[in-house]
Order: sequence, then C-alpha cells, then structure tokens
Amino acid sequence: MQIIVNNVSYTYNVNKLDNFEALKDISLSIEKGDFVALVGKTGSGKSTLIQTFNGLLQPTKGFTKIDEFIVTSDKKLKKKIFKEDDLIKKANKKAFLLRKKVGMVFQFPEYQLFEQTVLKDVMFGPLNFKVAPDIAKQRAIKSLNSVNIDESYFERSPFELSGGEKRRVAIAGVLASDPDILVLDEPTAGLDPNGKIEIMNLVKKIHNEGKTIILVTHDMDVVMNYANKVFVLNDSKLIDETTPVELFNTKDLSKLSLEIPTFYKVKNLLKNKGFAGNLEKIDTFDQLIDLIYEVKHD
Amino acid sequence: MTNVFGKYVNYNTIIHRADPRLKIFCLIAFMVMCFLPYGNFMNTYAVLLILVLVIATLMIISKLSFLDFFKSLKFMWFMAIFLLIINVFIPYNGKTDLHEMIVFSNGYIIYWEGVMNTFMVLIRLIMMVALTMIFTATTTPMDITYGFEWLLYPLKLLKIPTQVVAMTMSLALRFIPTLLLEANRIMKAQKSRGVDYNRGLISRKIKSITTLIVPLLVSCFSISDDLSLAMNARGYDPYAKRTRYRVLTFKKADLFLIISILILLAGFITISVFANSVGINLLETIFREIPKGSTF
Repeated sequence: MQIIVNNVSYTYNVNKLDNFEALKDISLSIEKGDFVALVGKTGSGKSTLIQTFNGLLQPTKGFTKIDEFIVTSDKKLKKKIFKEDDLIKKANKKAFLLRKKVGMVFQFPEYQLFEQTVLKDVMFGPLNFKVAPDIAKQRAIKSLNSVNIDESYFERSPFELSGGEKRRVAIAGVLASDPDILVLDEPTAGLDPNGKIEIMNLVKKIHNEGKTIILVTHDMDVVMNYANKVFVLNDSKLIDETTPVELFNTKDLSKLSLEIPTFYKVKNLLKNKGFAGNLEKIDTFDQLIDLIYEVKHD
Repeated sequence: MTNVFGKYVNYNTIIHRADPRLKIFCLIAFMVMCFLPYGNFMNTYAVLLILVLVIATLMIISKLSFLDFFKSLKFMWFMAIFLLIINVFIPYNGKTDLHEMIVFSNGYIIYWEGVMNTFMVLIRLIMMVALTMIFTATTTPMDITYGFEWLLYPLKLLKIPTQVVAMTMSLALRFIPTLLLEANRIMKAQKSRGVDYNRGLISRKIKSITTLIVPLLVSCFSISDDLSLAMNARGYDPYAKRTRYRVLTFKKADLFLIISILILLAGFITISVFANSVGINLLETIFREIPKGSTF
C-alpha cells in the first residue's frame, strides 16, 4: 500500500465557534500505480482529503501514511508509531521530502506562476528540493516537453501565455519535481473540449510511466474513461469504494449528485426505447457498437 | 486566518448598536484625549491610567477577548525598542531639572526622562490600537463606510465627490477577505512546490514572499477587472443619486452616548489646560503628603 488513510478526521477552526468537521473517520488505501478518482458533490471533503496527502493539512484525528511518511497532528499517535518502527522515524526527520514525493496540482494551477520566464518557473520546484541547477534545468525541459510546450516558449513570460498554456506550464512545474504520486484537483475545470482531452491524455501518459494518480473531478466521463478505482465521498464521509463500471451500473447517481456519463446515458436511452440486444455486460462504446452491429445482422 | 482580532464579530451590545457616525466621532475624541499633554510625568501617568481603565471597560462591554488583544500586540515590540533607543539616546542638552539614570565616564548622561517618555508613548500607542480594534470589531465595514461618507459631507460643498471616495473605501474593504482567501490558496500551491514560508534565511524568505506577492497581484488585478465590469454591467454611475438599503438613524441611546463623550472630552481638556498653564500636580493636590520635587 502506498497511501494509507487511517480513521482520519479533520476539523477546520478547532476550538472555535465556527468549527466545521470536513472529514469524518475516513479510512482508505491506495496502491502504487493506481489511477484513483475521488468524486462527490461540492463540500463533501474531497479537497480537504487530498491536502492531507502532502501535509498541507494535518488530520485532527487518525493519520495518513504515504510510503514511510506519517501525517497527523495527534502527537501521541505519532510517538507511538515512531516507537514501533525505527525506519519510519528516520524517514520523517526529512518531512519536507513528502512534498517532493506527492505532487499537487490545485484547481486553476495557473495562479501559482510567478517567475520572469516559463523555464525558470518550472525549475523552481526542483531547486526547492535541493536538486542541482543543471539537473533541474534538464528536468524542467523534459517536463515542459511532456506537456507539449516547445522551446520557443521557454524564455517568454508566463503571464503572456493563453489560459490553456498557462495551465500546462503550471502542471509542468509540478511534474518537474518528479513526484511518485500526482494529485490533481479538477485539472480540466474551465478548459475547452480539446484542452480537456490534452490534459487527460497527459495524465494518462504520466500514469503509464508507473506513477500513482489521484484525481478529484466532477466529470464522470473522465472517471469512466481513465480511473480504475473510485472513492465516493458524501457529507464528509467515505460512502463507497468501487470501480467505475460498478459505480455507474449499480449505484443511484442522482442521490450522490453525480452526473451520468455520456455512455450510460446512451445505454439507458437504448434500454428505454426497447433495444433488442443484451446490454447487461456492455461497458464501453466499442462493445456497444459491436452489439448494435450484431443485432442488426441477426 | 479566519479569526483575526479586530475583525467584525456579531454581538448585540450597546457599542455594537451605536450609530457608526457617532462611533467614528468617539474614536477621534478618545484619541485626542490620549494625546493631550497633561503636564509632568506623574500627571500624565495618572490620567493615562484612568483612560486605560475606561478603554478596558469598553473592551469588556463589547465582548472583546483580552488574550487576543495581547496576542495582536506582538508587533509592538519592534516599536518599543525603537522608541526606547531614540528616546534614551537623544541628548537633552540645555534642559535643566532632569533626573540622571546612568552617567557614562565620557560625560554622556542617560536620563530617567527618556525611559519615562518611551513608556508614555508606548501606552498611548497601545491605547490607540485598542480603540481602533474596538471600533472595527463592533462596526461592520459597510457601516464604517456609511459613517465616513456622512462625516465627509462638508467636502461635498467644495465639489469633492465624497460618494466616490466612500465607494472606493467599501471596495477596498470588500477585497480584504477575498485577498486572504486567495493568498491562502496560492500559499498552499507554492508550499506543494517546496516553498517554506516559516523557516530559512532572510534572503530565502524574501524569495518565498515574491512567490506569494506576484501571483496575488496578478489575481487581484483580474478580480478587480471582473468586478468593475460587473459594476458597469449593472449600470453603476458614481455621480448618480443613491439610496440606501439601511438608513442610519440617531437613537435615544446615541444621544446619551454623545453627551457623555462630550463631557468626558471637556473634562480631559480642562485637566490638560490646568495642568499645563497653572502647573498643578494632580497627585500633590490629591495626596498632600508627597513632597514637591520627588515626582518627575
């Protein structure tokens, strides 16, 4: 298990009048190389949960374990874990390396750009993690190439780029630190259809390199096409842990305020219009086309 | 971040209910009282003590937490040290009747007056902070703007567009929470890229602050651009006659408040005049036992 979330609760403004429990006793685990989607309506705690993965927020109860790093604000619990395992204790002395291990792409990441040139901005992450300047430059160029930003952009100011380009540069800025786990908070929000496909293909490519992807999204088409595991959050609680196929076939999506993906809309339409074939086991457009072809020729 | 001291907190107290225009006037009146000269040091300290007690009572009435107040005074340390250095080391040449504290071998003298002066200024500054915080914690930003706009009314006769000034003010106030939220978001993004805002050398800290300021300015410009467009779209005309959703009214309690503040102000001005022109020593007049000359 690469990520273990153990009975995590998180409360905003502890001991204040306006405290708010954003996570209630959540336990889950994510394997190395998984492509995980976190879904749920706004305010269900998705963003809070992912922020515990790189220590931006520390769980008020329970702990998150990422490889050997422990994130918790419960000091007693931390001590107990350290006592049991010396290796963990050693690793946690360099807690800032957790941020290198877990790359975090926030919603509208283009707001994090600040340097004079695109290349400098992408190099900023690795330099912070004490990578030598020439290696940082190599990595920056590599990650910029992987997001399809070519050399002519390198010396330009990030502020004069278009919206989609800015976002790709910002994502490259996170990738340049070479994280093992990439967490993305709605990376496709506010992009046109082409931009969406481009970003998702990029994420797919990174996943194929063997990295763990955790994706927060409201776009169920993305969940259906890319994820292999889905966690459903509702009202600060984890209510389901399934695969996309199972989620869309068996669960009542409107109850969770999730949208039905295009494929399942088509499938339902066919079912309701009295389509002759057996739709039970059909889960992709390709299978559906084959089925329609078969039915037509029967 | 959500619980900044001096941020408006919604309680139902006399001070919260009072007219904002009146509260601005009271604020100014209290500041005048704080900074009036009261003659010699003993007089000043006696009067300032009374003022401290009055302000503390006001804080209790408006349900402010003293703990939060003292926490917010942290930044005063710089000020205190700076004031002390200035006040202690300026030469007091030509003045007689001073009290020596330390006499250096080269003839340079540090006087008690310098130290006393520092504390006096410091107490006055702390009182200013307290007063401002009472004001902002009991008055909504909207009310503050309305109050100022009303008090700026005389400038209208000089053809100065006061309503524009008031709108600018309320827009500036409106941006504070937005900017805090935005700053929080950007900080999180930069922390994820390995910036450490808390530790590091000064040069590194300056660098990490630029990673916050530059994106903050960029997003601030884009937000204000959107806001001005939205205002234009709704037909905002700065020079049009405007009506209010909430009309400020002067209540009976406000009348009581203004009379008491005027009496208080008059009282303190009287003390100041007597202490300076007649040269009375308050403590010596009240407690006759204290021999003359033992006070500063």
